[in-house]
Amino acid sequence: MTEFKPTILAFCCNWCSYAGADLAGVNRLQMPPNVHVIRVMCSASVKPEYVFKAISQGVDGVLVLGCHIGDCHYLTGNHRTAKRIPVTKKILHDVGIDDRRVRLDWVSAAEGEKFQQVIIEFVAEIKTLGPNPQREVNM
Amino acid sequence: MNDLGRRLARIAFDERGADILLMMAENQGNVGPVIISKGQDPGDARIDVPYQLVAILTNLLPFIGKAKVAILCRRCDEKALIELAKRGIVDDASMVRIGLACSKEQIQACRCSDCVPSKVDIGEAAEPCPEDALAIELGSMTIEQRAAFWMRQFRKCNKCFGCTLNCPVCFCDDCVLEERTYTPKEGIPPELAFHLIRSFHLADKCVECGECERSCPVDIPLLTLRKMVNRDMKNMFDYGSGDAEKKSPLLTTLDDQPLEDDGHAC
Repeated sequence: MTEFKPTILAFCCNWCSYAGADLAGVNRLQMPPNVHVIRVMCSASVKPEYVFKAISQGVDGVLVLGCHIGDCHYLTGNHRTAKRIPVTKKILHDVGIDDRRVRLDWVSAAEGEKFQQVIIEFVAEIKTLGPNPQREVNM
Repeated sequence: MNDLGRRLARIAFDERGADILLMMAENQGNVGPVIISKGQDPGDARIDVPYQLVAILTNLLPFIGKAKVAILCRRCDEKALIELAKRGIVDDASMVRIGLACSKEQIQACRCSDCVPSKVDIGEAAEPCPEDALAIELGSMTIEQRAAFWMRQFRKCNKCFGCTLNCPVCFCDDCVLEERTYTPKEGIPPELAFHLIRSFHLADKCVECGECERSCPVDIPLLTLRKMVNRDMKNMFDYGSGDAEKKSPLLTTLDDQPLEDDGHAC
């Protein structure tokens, strides 16, 4: 049996987390190659619809990364995310999908190392959870 | 017109000065929603049909204009009107609510825990039902069992959109679920995301009227799902839909300051 290679989407906000990811790259920090980064203008533009769509199409994990609370380029964008994503996770939990597949974290533009840490931890966690059961449904 | 109809008309037109009355009536064997003005005879009034008149009302609003509308309201209708008023869809001042207390059978069918309207005009207040047995059962299951249960249920969905169309608090003109990105034109059942997106959109406004479950042609226990999400909202933010004082937590910042948009969009 081949090793399970999870597919992970990371929504990174343009002003902090994407720059943080960039910094991690420039600093040549090693991290697992399972993550597909999607650049969004603000973590609040990650609608729960996107997360649900990804999970129900068989993506193994979804990361939502934004600026730290108080540092949002749009002032209150990440407040909205901070309220939405927990509700999203609860709904997934209610229908029997492990809510650890969705993770919300804050990574600033200076935190290349934190970005690396988040990715390593999340990939390891998804590996222990195994493939998303929805993947078989969609095959 | 039967006695009940005359009584409703008297409360609406004579006592509370409404211009039109929205209610359920039976005409030649068919029960449906009717709208009457003073002196009109709609047939026999019926209150045992748990139909969401608020969903009808929001569709009629552009045609009603400034008329004062009397509407037969269960507790859930009342909460739905509050949610709509909070988002500026209906004007609470131009509404006359005629409180209707649900019967025991109805409360059992809805597993309703909040069933007595603020003012009872018709019917007698009955005891609320403590909790949804299926929700408790699902809560005690393992996550795999729960997934198996819901996937079996959602597989039955034939994408009729009945749950959306009859929902009293679904007010968007362009429903996100009708976008082809989320619900492709071809193929049933729709993907899991369909039900999850609907759950999220209703998280801060579902009034647990049970209309989605009643209108579902394949009997998916949607009301149970709604109740589970509402309970989560209660636990997380101490928020329950139908509270006129509290703004939806999804429309405020972490320090409870209102966010810029008016919550008109879903």
